[in-house]
Amino acid sequence: MAGESNIRTALSNPAGWQSLLSFSILALAYLAAFSSRLFAVIRFESIIHEFDPWFNYRSTHHLVNYGFYNFLNWFDERAWYPLGRIVGGTVYPGLMVTAGTIHWLLNSLHITVHIRDVCVFLAPTFSGLTSIATYLLTKELWSQGAGLLAACFIAIVPGYISRSVAGSYDNEGIAIFALLFTYFLWVKSVKTGSIFWAGCTALAYFYMVSAWGGYVYIINLIPLHVFVLLLMGRFSYRIFVAYCAFFILGLLLSMQIPFVGFQPIRTSEHMASAGVFALLIAYGFLKYLHTHLSSLTKSEMRSLFFFAVAASAAAVLMAVVYLTYAGYVAPWSGRFYSLYDTGYAKIHIPIIASVSEHQPTTWVSFFFDLHVLVCTFPAGVWFCIKKINDERVFIVLYAISASYFAGVMVRLMLTLTPVVCILSAIAFSNVLERYLVDDTPKVHHIEDESEDDEEGDKRNKSKDLYDKAGKVRKIRHEPSGEPESLGGNVKTIVVMAVMMILMMFAVHCTWVTSNAYSSPSVVLASYNHDGSRNILDDFREAYYWLRQNTDDHSRVMSWWDYGYQIAGMANRTTLVDNNTWNNSHIALVGKAMSSNETRAYEIMKALDVDYVLVIFGGVIGYSGDDINKFLWMVRIAEGEHPKEIREGDYFTPQGEFRVDKAGSKTLLNCLMYKLCYYRFGEMQLDFRTPPGFDRTRNVEIGNKDISFQHLEEAYTTEHWLVRIYKVKKQDNRVRLDHTVRKTDIKPKTKFTSRKSGKRKRGFIKNKMLIKKGKRPSSKNKKPSRKTSSKK
Amino acid sequence: MNRAAYELVIFGALLASCCTANQGAIGGDLVNSAVNRQIDLTSQLAKFTTTITLENAGKTATTSFVLAIDPSLRDRLSFIGATTKDDEAEKLSVTQTTVPGRTTDVLFRVDLPKALGAGQSTTVNVEEAYTHAQTPYPAQITQAEDQLVLFKGNLHFYSPYKTQSETTTVKLASNKIESHTKTKAKVEDSSIVYGPFENVEAFSQEKLQIHYENNTPFLAVTSLVRVIEVSHWGNIAVEETYDVRHSGARLKGSFSRYDYQRQLDGRSSVKSFKTILPAAARDVYYRDEIGNISTSNLNEQDDAVELELRPRFPLFGGWKTHYYIGYNLPSYEYLYNSGDEYALQMRFVDHVYDDQVIDDITVKIILPEGSKNVDLSVPFPVDRHPDELHFTYLDTFGRPVVIAHKSNLVEQHIQDFTLRYSFQKLLLLQEPLLVVFAFYILFFTVIIYVRLDFAISKDEASESRMRMQGLLDQLQAAQDKRTSLYQRYEDAIAKFKSTKDLAGFTGSRKKIDAEHKELSSTIKELQGKLKLESTDMAEKVGELQKLDSNLKDQIVLSISLAEKVVAGKMGKQQYIDNEKVYSAKREDIMGKTETLLSSL
Repeated sequence: MAGESNIRTALSNPAGWQSLLSFSILALAYLAAFSSRLFAVIRFESIIHEFDPWFNYRSTHHLVNYGFYNFLNWFDERAWYPLGRIVGGTVYPGLMVTAGTIHWLLNSLHITVHIRDVCVFLAPTFSGLTSIATYLLTKELWSQGAGLLAACFIAIVPGYISRSVAGSYDNEGIAIFALLFTYFLWVKSVKTGSIFWAGCTALAYFYMVSAWGGYVYIINLIPLHVFVLLLMGRFSYRIFVAYCAFFILGLLLSMQIPFVGFQPIRTSEHMASAGVFALLIAYGFLKYLHTHLSSLTKSEMRSLFFFAVAASAAAVLMAVVYLTYAGYVAPWSGRFYSLYDTGYAKIHIPIIASVSEHQPTTWVSFFFDLHVLVCTFPAGVWFCIKKINDERVFIVLYAISASYFAGVMVRLMLTLTPVVCILSAIAFSNVLERYLVDDTPKVHHIEDESEDDEEGDKRNKSKDLYDKAGKVRKIRHEPSGEPESLGGNVKTIVVMAVMMILMMFAVHCTWVTSNAYSSPSVVLASYNHDGSRNILDDFREAYYWLRQNTDDHSRVMSWWDYGYQIAGMANRTTLVDNNTWNNSHIALVGKAMSSNETRAYEIMKALDVDYVLVIFGGVIGYSGDDINKFLWMVRIAEGEHPKEIREGDYFTPQGEFRVDKAGSKTLLNCLMYKLCYYRFGEMQLDFRTPPGFDRTRNVEIGNKDISFQHLEEAYTTEHWLVRIYKVKKQDNRVRLDHTVRKTDIKPKTKFTSRKSGKRKRGFIKNKMLIKKGKRPSSKNKKPSRKTSSKK
Repeated sequence: MNRAAYELVIFGALLASCCTANQGAIGGDLVNSAVNRQIDLTSQLAKFTTTITLENAGKTATTSFVLAIDPSLRDRLSFIGATTKDDEAEKLSVTQTTVPGRTTDVLFRVDLPKALGAGQSTTVNVEEAYTHAQTPYPAQITQAEDQLVLFKGNLHFYSPYKTQSETTTVKLASNKIESHTKTKAKVEDSSIVYGPFENVEAFSQEKLQIHYENNTPFLAVTSLVRVIEVSHWGNIAVEETYDVRHSGARLKGSFSRYDYQRQLDGRSSVKSFKTILPAAARDVYYRDEIGNISTSNLNEQDDAVELELRPRFPLFGGWKTHYYIGYNLPSYEYLYNSGDEYALQMRFVDHVYDDQVIDDITVKIILPEGSKNVDLSVPFPVDRHPDELHFTYLDTFGRPVVIAHKSNLVEQHIQDFTLRYSFQKLLLLQEPLLVVFAFYILFFTVIIYVRLDFAISKDEASESRMRMQGLLDQLQAAQDKRTSLYQRYEDAIAKFKSTKDLAGFTGSRKKIDAEHKELSSTIKELQGKLKLESTDMAEKVGELQKLDSNLKDQIVLSISLAEKVVAGKMGKQQYIDNEKVYSAKREDIMGKTETLLSSL
């Protein structure tokens, strides 16, 4: 009897139910986040995607094979030939160290997982953790129910999946987790004002710094939060403690990353945090003075206070400006300028502008990546502003700044996505708790308190579970006011509509993930009419050919996009790669590609190039090939060599970029054109098209008679997607490319070397021949003597 | 190549030193009365099939004879085997031997099935296979050119005995012959017949050279690592790592995809080949360092699984590639046991492609953790390397790995090895128990962590809250019971009304009263305890008690009413009206109690 009642009470214990429910929902969200990212693995294989992940994979491999210290000291002589790259000092090591640690841990438990699989599945694993971090953050900001919703949203939202599918082994995969976790801890430390939480925030920030360059966003957003709180007059010692502890620890920790080094105290990007720190100290000091200067009247005190704060703010600003001008602090870098002026990069840094993910975002992609959340997200902001408190100021600031950045660059959509999920979850949770709560059977439910408790947990429909919910409540906020009694029908309709929207959201997410974000881009797939799949594996074919059948130290020239892949898959030395740290080197390669063969050969000789690799999509109609990227090569080359390369030369007089007969002569004879179209003129793809018909650009090519003097075709893949040429060694004697002109005029003199003649010592031209007792002869021109004697 | 030969020689020497039976005279009394050699050069191998009619011209019977390997080809010898003419299934034992006076020659002693008496003769078929015996000449060709190869051999049968009559037929891969040795030669389409030669002396050599076109794939596996992982849970996993090289004429100049696609040239290149896997092979994969090689096809047939492999790129002369193939096999087909003694019988090397050439193979057999007394027997000599340990899932002290190595193999080497070892069956349980134990520890730690308080400092507020929570839980339970008592009161009244059994009713009433008293005192006690934590709560409990006593009063009233009605002191209608009032009051009080409870 007693045992039975125990079970009964345990089952009816709402706290137990609630934690079990939220635990299982979070577990399911984790699972959904993990498994919805596996499309690429299931459809293709466990493979590293795209470009940057290949570098990350390669360096992780290095880390795993040679240890952490050798990784930090790694000088990669296989990249940026002949310059090389100091990898240890120019990467954010967080990603590699995370994967390496997991690999080490598993292997020390004798779970022999290959490092490639660890790398492939790292992003999905961390996406699951991100959804938990989102839950924690939203729970701190609003309520548990909103937190669960936010966790479910972030688990499947395409805007985040785009950068974190299995195989997309990139910094962003773990950085978003670190970002949200840092924010969670920050909110927690603002709420509690404890040094413990602030210290945890600094540690999470340290992890973020080690993982992604986007840490700058945190170190500007948190000071902004503090600053705005000061402006709103919400200063409290909790904030003082939290920020000071976080700032100092975070600063010291972030400087431990070799790539970051002294940047936190030497660049403008970090100055805001230092300025706010100084301001906060000044504010705190004035507060302290305030307690001692009780003689002043209240209004005097206030004006003094404002004056002092304004003065200290101005002093901080002036100090930063002075330091910048004096050169102690570096001004804003170009990448940051491009966030303020979208046209900046196009003019000054074409290499940044040439990357598609640095383009401004279109409206379509907002909907594509966020679906309904983009509509409900403002509602969440409104709710937060309506019931503002210290931590909701933070989320509002986050929402505003992230929306701006996402509008500037497609890539920064990633930072917007979490906040959109959080705020939409708040909006949805508010709607659901209003409409989903079944309040008809209860007559006496008037206590605001119990109503307040239910807030957020729309899943617990039955009120009976709520008898004692008051004891588990942690968040307390103002009562939501007297709920108007609504008709059951209205409620049902609203709930149905919301459910439909959420369902469509889930369907959209799955569809986008499966169709847009789950292609490895290393392997292409095409579908036949009957639905069967053709795999175009040309990239790996070419890279593997390079790996197996070229000398280990041969140097491959290609456009920088393929640098990481060549290094990772072909294991060969590259000239330029996706790191793009040296613009002039890239420009040199661009110049070689856009010059004619002779000029290009000189450059290639100077750079010791053995092979040239180009991507050509004309046979299968692949649009991302080198001819389509060619104008960027020309532009980048022109930036460094404006005298030799001019963009205008590659256009027709009408200003068109054409590869057919009407195209400009410079284009039709440049190296890139020749490399792509060599022998393509003979190839007839279709009976309806003439030979040499380019399917990507849908034209018949203009120059079908291509021959090489210094290069030879080394390998072309099955679908001609990758073409590799070997640069021939220099001939002993440079052959003339034209036959010597023959004339009727017989040379008057036959050249004979003086040195082989009688007098081997050399002679002086027109020297007088003097013989003793003879007059100097008038015909003293020695060379002509022979022929004249013949006459 | 040379290394392999040295190894053979060293091995032979070793054998010779430890077993004197292998060393002996040639036995000069034997005569090769008729020799018919077939040299098959249609593939990249040189396959010799020699039919020898041996005659014992001496006085004593002999049980064995000696075969000599042609000096020009001896570094390339891969396989030698002999059968009798009558019974081709029965293989004669062929062992390497040395003979004093002919130290440079590689000699093999063949044991005859029955002694060859004086004057008798017998016919023996000898099969030899030589790898890399045809050298491309010219060594470099362009993509459009055909591959020409040069074969150099001996015009005569190289034998320690005198040969009375011999003919040699050379089968070529094509009828395009650039040049050949003209001595007694007769060309018939794609084959050349030399001979017959009469009375050839022992150990006679004469140059035989043929230069002809051979576009068959010259594919060589330069190194092969075959890993067999045995699991006693019913699976054998095989993974083979290959380094493959086109050993024909090297490609000169450029490779043109356009020309290759028109299929006009590149005849000597290798586009794809077929590997035959065991019929039971499942979960086949074909990969390399950068992932799955998508260009392959799998055909399941009745007796085998045919895997059509296409390397990522066509292999031209001098090009190489690297890949690995893996598959699973059910262990019942290969693993036999009696008690704790196990025997694994599998192929030492498996089929890679037709007319295969394997320069080096390393076979690694990973046995289950705890296997002992390992004994490997292979039908041909191999090098055993020291055993290693391998660690994989859930291993604690490592699985023993048996490693064997051999050079220069051809198709004839596809033979079974037998590996005997002992394994205690109980050890099978070790790994599941390990998992169970790990989970046990995990859950136990969690339980300990959740149940015990590890805080350094006491958090008064939260502890008080928890204590209060506990008290409230008890209170709740007590109150629930008390509420149920009222139901019982009502039941008892109803029963009393129908049965009119006063004695029974007073009995049950007393019982309920006692319970009610007890519960009320419990609640009072709890109230006292609650007072220590929160006066607010205690007050609420006081209210609860008050409500309860009200309710009790109502019940008492209702009981007296019932007694009256049963005693006939009151009319039915009056009773019903009164009862209605009381029950409404009771309902009201109950509702209040509930509200109060929910606010606790």
